[in-house]
Amino acid sequence: MNTIELATPSRLSTFRALFKADMRVQWRNRRASLMTILVPVIVLISWSGIVAQMGGPFAMSSCITIGLMAVGLMAYANSTARAREKGIFQRLRVTPAGTFEIMASRIVVQLIQMLLMAVVLFIAAYVIDHVALSVGGYVLGALFSVLSGAVFLALGLAVVGLVRNAETVNSISRFVYIALVIVGAIGELGVLGTLAEKIVLWSPYGSVKVLLLAAMQPSAWDMSATYALLASLAYCVVFAFIGIKWFKWTEE
Amino acid sequence: MADPNAPILDVRDIDIWYGTQHAVDSVSFSIARGETFGLLGPNGAGKTSTLSAIEGLLQPQGGTVRIAGHDIHEDPAHAKANMGVQLQSTSFHSDLTVREIIALYAGLYGLPTPPGMVDGLLRDIQLEDARKKRFGQLSGGQQQRVSLVIATIHNPELVLLDEPTTGLDPQSRRQLWDRIERIKESGRAILLTTHSMEEAEAVCDRIAIIDHGKIIATDTPQGLIDAHASDPRVQKASRGSRITLEDVFIGLTGSELRG
Repeated sequence: MNTIELATPSRLSTFRALFKADMRVQWRNRRASLMTILVPVIVLISWSGIVAQMGGPFAMSSCITIGLMAVGLMAYANSTARAREKGIFQRLRVTPAGTFEIMASRIVVQLIQMLLMAVVLFIAAYVIDHVALSVGGYVLGALFSVLSGAVFLALGLAVVGLVRNAETVNSISRFVYIALVIVGAIGELGVLGTLAEKIVLWSPYGSVKVLLLAAMQPSAWDMSATYALLASLAYCVVFAFIGIKWFKWTEE
Repeated sequence: MADPNAPILDVRDIDIWYGTQHAVDSVSFSIARGETFGLLGPNGAGKTSTLSAIEGLLQPQGGTVRIAGHDIHEDPAHAKANMGVQLQSTSFHSDLTVREIIALYAGLYGLPTPPGMVDGLLRDIQLEDARKKRFGQLSGGQQQRVSLVIATIHNPELVLLDEPTTGLDPQSRRQLWDRIERIKESGRAILLTTHSMEEAEAVCDRIAIIDHGKIIATDTPQGLIDAHASDPRVQKASRGSRITLEDVFIGLTGSELRG
């Protein structure tokens, strides 16, 4: 059969259209986004004692990790589950937009939110606790916040991949978030014993936190930071694999 | 040079299985340029699965689907660029305005959206005042008009309409039929699914009746009536002196409730 050539849009132009729309949706939901950004700032304010005791970068890395988890697990997982429930993905999939572009534009929007959150926390730490990092510390801290955010976006994708129902995704992502935050934040201080401290250290929370702490103090980068980087990359790959392999575009 | 007589949609022997259930069994049909083709069937007959395979949402276990010569699974970007779809449930981003949704879909087809372009489209469907409304704030008829604009925004060779008038009042339905007629007059091929026999008779040039995953009859609406008028099952289903398309449909697919 002969073929008819109707102009096929480039992947870049479809991505641009999706990104613009996803950014608009994010802007319309700015109150929810603002709350997500404010959570680590509120934690930082309440941790003024820890800042004094353990140092600014220690508290800041924990706060950013908590914020990254909120974006990846709560915001991203839930918005993806809701979009799937409403059939938004199916409508997009009958257009020339590729599945990669559909997912990538949403992920990029979340990564931007994570970067914004890290910057807001840097400013808050400077204003509230007078914590100043080196220029390299700020740059690497921001860069690794985005890279570390990918771990929690992948975890969010894994939850949405394994669980179809939007309400169940909401419940499970909240449970995982609270469990990781509570066990991570308390465990890293050694309150739950040395075994728990070690487990926390190698958990997604711990490895991201160690990585961010080292990134904010580049001169103190050591082997534990390299191991944390490798662990974070491994978590990212495993969670993304699970999420992509089991992801369904519809709830049915 | 493209052959003007080549079918715009060519479905060949598609098979779809859900576990042990043979949902679509060697379904074949084709639609020519400027033709409106109706796919009718009771709930669970295989209509939606067939449509999903054509849309590229579902990979059939056997057979091929070609749109304007492009295989939907081997060359999805080209096939989808030649196809416009109005889905049964109008699922657009609820946080975007009507204007933004139209601009998004124009962008997905690589169309520029110069100032006034979207407003012009909305003016055509008498929805200029609704441009800043969210899609969910529109009435059912208005939503369908917007969906149809989006389905045809890139002048596709093939337009798929999945039960486009379900839930609409008679005025909105008639208006939508007029729009379908205009799409057809512009030379595009249309595949329509509907549960309304009145709609099928009003807008379709040819109809295929699908049941238990198989196409059991294909003809013009009048051709189907003429061919099956003397069938005892059809006569039993008839409630008047004149055999209608609905009598033929119920006679051939049975009167028991489905789904």
